Amino acid sequence: MLQLKNIDCGYGVFQAVHDLSFSIETGQVFALLGPNGAGKSSTIMSIAGHVKLFAGSIHFDGEDISSLPARERVKKGIAVAPEGRRLFPDLTIEENLTVGGYSKPKGKEAVNRDMVFSLFPRLTERLKQPAGTLSGGEQQMLAIGRAMMAEPRLLMIDEVSLGLMPKMVDVCYNAIHHLKSQGVTILLVEQNTKRALDVADQVCVLESGNAVWQGSAADAKKDPDLIEAFLGMTKESAA
Amino acid sequence: MLYVELLAQGLVQGSIYALVAVGLTLVYGLLRILHVAHAGLFTLGGYIGVLVTNATGSLLLALVVSMLVVGLLGMAIYRLCYQPILDKPPYVALIASIGLFIAMEEIYRIAFGPYGISYENPPLQDVVHIFGITLRLGEVAVGIGTLVLIGALALFASKTRFGTVWRATVTDPEMAESFGVDIIKVRYLNFFIGSALAAVAGVMVALLNNLVEPTMGSVPSYKALAIIVLGGLGDVRGTLLAALALGVIEAYGTIYLGNYLDRDAIAFAFLILVLMVRPQGLFGRA
Ligand SMILES: Nc1ncnc2c1ncn2[C@@H]1O[C@H](COP(=O)(O)OP(=O)(O)OP(=O)(O)O)[C@@H](O)[C@H]1O
Ligand SMILES: [Mg+2]
Repeated sequence: MLQLKNIDCGYGVFQAVHDLSFSIETGQVFALLGPNGAGKSSTIMSIAGHVKLFAGSIHFDGEDISSLPARERVKKGIAVAPEGRRLFPDLTIEENLTVGGYSKPKGKEAVNRDMVFSLFPRLTERLKQPAGTLSGGEQQMLAIGRAMMAEPRLLMIDEVSLGLMPKMVDVCYNAIHHLKSQGVTILLVEQNTKRALDVADQVCVLESGNAVWQGSAADAKKDPDLIEAFLGMTKESAA
Repeated sequence: MLYVELLAQGLVQGSIYALVAVGLTLVYGLLRILHVAHAGLFTLGGYIGVLVTNATGSLLLALVVSMLVVGLLGMAIYRLCYQPILDKPPYVALIASIGLFIAMEEIYRIAFGPYGISYENPPLQDVVHIFGITLRLGEVAVGIGTLVLIGALALFASKTRFGTVWRATVTDPEMAESFGVDIIKVRYLNFFIGSALAAVAGVMVALLNNLVEPTMGSVPSYKALAIIVLGGLGDVRGTLLAALALGVIEAYGTIYLGNYLDRDAIAFAFLILVLMVRPQGLFGRA
């Protein structure tokens, strides 16, 4: 469904990602792992259309979307819950969802909102609350919910569990499992490697802007050296 | 009664500040540009108001024409002056904006003369008595007009889908674009509305002073900058409240401190005081 072919991307003259290629099949969960500054967020934001591509191409459903502006990419079915959530802080939960669904006809808003609320019932309790005053977990739910309002076929979530209490992490991963079962393709970035490997089908490990390992999550779990070297986990906790 | 009268006059003056400052804070929120030339549009609004009223005898028509022409010119300024330099550091746009403002003042001087122009038959000069205080009809019109316009804007921004999207775009344009918003369209709308409101303020100041001169925008230009800082840059509600507060402070200040400080000095003393205590502005979050 999504193919990155030899992409270089970055900011101004600074190149954050070098010659990266991977593809994601429909219905899969794809995890992008790696240490701080590896280029994970840059990769996601270049797929969303916000970080400049210097070279290479991005294909979605076989179509080259490399030069489409971000607002056209969401119409093709790509939505993002970005790093730091980046909710609209002064807007209420309800209004954040409205903006999330802006690429869809107004008539779909109510249905999609109900879908988000069934995914995260907790959001219904605070409809009129400004997003800036929500707890970290609620903000992540809203960020994912806002992205789901665009009816994406590819949902990208950057830093799913960063800064969340374990209970909230569970809520988010339950949602991810549910969306996967609904056929949504998911690209996620995660610091908590175990969590990521549990839900992912495929894994790509980035370091300093280069892909240093790619393969299935099952193989990643079997390869202790890889986990030692790149993912900063002990063998025991991966088992 | 003096207190109430001063309050009313302060609110009228504050309304005018509000109409000018809203456009400025919107542009700042969206583009992080201090749009100094905005005050030049305010002046042009005044000129068009006087010229059209004198030609047709209708203040209302003048107001509509002024809003439309100035609104469109605001869009043109965005397109021709700011859009080409958006990827440059913010001071580039600031310098361009100051240059444009000076050029506008000179153009008005050349086009309409250095001494300013006035209404031939100044409208709304009758005096009315409400709640025991005395106001000119023009002042009442300023108050009511501002209330209606800002009220309509608030309704649009809070109750419509596009209004919601507009507010979202002002806080995070990139994220808004991620959800399908054409941010160029939002910018045009932003400049149109902000400029049209400044035009209304220009027409009203022309009415209250019965004079429009080339430099009419210079005091509002820096005062509006002070107001949007007070209001918390980019925060529309804060800007409105700061504008009204400044109008009222000035009204009382000129009576009680007028012997020591003039009106504008009072305004800036207030700004400095507030920023010492609340650097994030009156209503901003820390
Ligand atoms: N807006 C920016 N301007 C310039 N350089 C940037 C910008 N954002 C990120 N970078 C640089 O790009 C490189 C990759 O950053 P990126 O945010 O993609 O890493 P990451 O893998 O998401 O890291 P983290 O785990 O810390 O979120 C880093 O060297 C970073 O300093
Ligand atoms: Mg990141």
